[in-house]
Amino acid sequence: MKRLHFCYEMSLKWDQRVKDHHFLIRCRPMENGRQHREDMTIKIEPADFISEGIDGFGNEGYMGSMRAPHDYLSVKAEGMVQVNVSGRTEPFHPMYRFPSAFTMPDESMDKFLRETWLELGWPARNAADFAIKSCHMREKEYPPMAQNDLEYMMNRLYRRFVYAPGATTVATTAVEALALGKGVCQDYAHVFISLCRLAGVPARYAAGMMLGEGASHAWVEVWMKDTWLGMDPTNNRLVDETYIKLTHGRDFGDGTINRGRFLGFANQSQEIRVKVEEMV
Amino acid sequence: MRDMVEHMEGINRLMARYGVKFGIYKNREFHEQLFPFDPLPRVISAAEFRYLEKGLIQRVDALNCFLADIYGEKKIVKDGVIPEDFIFSSKGYLPQCEGMMPPKKIYSHISGIDLVQAKEGTWYILEDNLRIPSGASYPMIARELTRQASPRTFMRNHVVDNRDYAGMLKEVMDHVNTGGIHVVLTPGRYNAAFFEHSYLAERSGAILAMPQDLYVENNRLYYRQYQGRQLQVGTVYRRLSDEYLDPLCFEPESLIGVPGIMDVYRSGNVALVNAPGNGVADDKGIYYFVPHMVKYYLDQEAILKNAPTYLAFYESDRKWILEHLEMLVVKDVSEAGGYGVIFGKDLTKEKREELRQIIIREPRRFIAQEVVDFIDLDIVEGDGGVPRKADLRAFVLSSGTTKVWPSGLTRFSRNPDSFVVNSSQGGGFKDTWVLSQ
Repeated sequence: MKRLHFCYEMSLKWDQRVKDHHFLIRCRPMENGRQHREDMTIKIEPADFISEGIDGFGNEGYMGSMRAPHDYLSVKAEGMVQVNVSGRTEPFHPMYRFPSAFTMPDESMDKFLRETWLELGWPARNAADFAIKSCHMREKEYPPMAQNDLEYMMNRLYRRFVYAPGATTVATTAVEALALGKGVCQDYAHVFISLCRLAGVPARYAAGMMLGEGASHAWVEVWMKDTWLGMDPTNNRLVDETYIKLTHGRDFGDGTINRGRFLGFANQSQEIRVKVEEMV
Repeated sequence: MRDMVEHMEGINRLMARYGVKFGIYKNREFHEQLFPFDPLPRVISAAEFRYLEKGLIQRVDALNCFLADIYGEKKIVKDGVIPEDFIFSSKGYLPQCEGMMPPKKIYSHISGIDLVQAKEGTWYILEDNLRIPSGASYPMIARELTRQASPRTFMRNHVVDNRDYAGMLKEVMDHVNTGGIHVVLTPGRYNAAFFEHSYLAERSGAILAMPQDLYVENNRLYYRQYQGRQLQVGTVYRRLSDEYLDPLCFEPESLIGVPGIMDVYRSGNVALVNAPGNGVADDKGIYYFVPHMVKYYLDQEAILKNAPTYLAFYESDRKWILEHLEMLVVKDVSEAGGYGVIFGKDLTKEKREELRQIIIREPRRFIAQEVVDFIDLDIVEGDGGVPRKADLRAFVLSSGTTKVWPSGLTRFSRNPDSFVVNSSQGGGFKDTWVLSQ
């Protein structure tokens, strides 16, 4: 078990004033068998009101609005979280078996998977035949990938993919990222999720923070032996007690930490600063 | 009936004046069209209506059970009655609606069930519409106008009065109201069914609201009046599709939604009619399983039959489809409004082969049905009548009890060779008479 202190700061600035701004901020560490919030404070300003809520995935958040004209929004959250990687995770949900908007596979994804299997010494199979099978039929016909197989695949992706901020955008899909061969944590996660689901292994997108200073982070959770196992393809390692999960969902779209809508013709700039320290 | 024909022109003129129109987008442009009214009604006998009523209530009750199950325990999936693929990879399935229960546990408050009657008399269900089925306003206003134009017709024939649809709608809204006013939420006047939105609001005594008239504060939904006074909203009969409902929850680019409305709904502080997420129960793929749902949830045999349907997803069905393409109608499950419907017999050899390959590649995307030779109804053309294909949309309303509106929207194809009756494909409509004896 580790005790982590976190500080999440986000600021939005506009070059002209905007109004009727509605936002959803989800920088609240999830509460589950592996994570426990000891305490937390948050300050969001300016805001007319703020209310707390939870969504269908189990993500908690702060919803609010600022109606009068304003040119910035600042969020500062701070708190202490206990992380215990051997704790129980959330139960399974079948939606994580299926492709989602950002993780829809195509032939290139299938090719990557088939090559991986070939390297693992598995019998070759027919690509077209594979695509039409339901997840259950696939699971019966092909043994599911075990943890070390998935780690092999993660390593294969890590070696073929280049970390390159600015090469992709928040709208880049897994297939597009794989074709580019580069991207950021969101893209690594999307490609890996797409591969896992294609292989019949349920997978989901996790967003959060990790030990150190920098931006927020994203990784993958796969359903393995009745539990969610965290895998971080950007760093080619398993998720341990230095990670704090904020949200999860089928892909980036579900797990977005900040969402908002406002009226105004203004250019927006966003800055995120995350700091996580271990308390001994 | 002759009376009615005499008044046809006058009634159509009045309808044009009242704005009985629907809009369609073609080449990204908005066109408004009159919805042509044919004065010869479809007549349903009292006994036949009682049979349809029983079948429709059973079907909608089963569909409501299914929705509560899918967004709750998912027993029908765990028991292997419906494959996961048809639920969790369906566009209409919204995980944002997981783990919550709408007020009074009703998901589909207003269901539009499309039926056709085969030449030998059997009624078949064509599709279920559980999201925002439109069309009730057309026979409502048609009846209003024909009664005025020809009161004698209604004195001589024993037609059940259908003018209480608005009352039934109000009952639905009252039943689920969480405290506050009723609003009909319309995306605006460029929506295909704007006439209907304004007409139903007026008739049911609800306020017609645009998205910008509504706002969320401290987990409550409010309507802003002209003078700035705020009224709490208890029921939203929303005519805005799920993905545009709340930019903080669904489509983030949506400019027409109400930010935060889903949080209010999830907290039980407003009723949304119909519930978001209903699309999982009315796509063309899940249609195949509705008779199974009736058996599973109600332990009854389905009274109303589906048109004979094959699911490309199942290997044996797929084989059959590929071998009999020329006698089937193939439907893309992700399309609606008469789009994505392909008649095998109309295709050239090459096109048919192309379709075959697409079905092999993406079997989950297609269902195939035997072409039901459904009855023609006469429509007025020139001095006489000509037969045209027609279907029936029945409206089923669920409040404490489930009721079928004793009328419906009968749509017909104006093209003599076409089986597609959708208004977006240029069809017209008739009044639907249910006889009281």
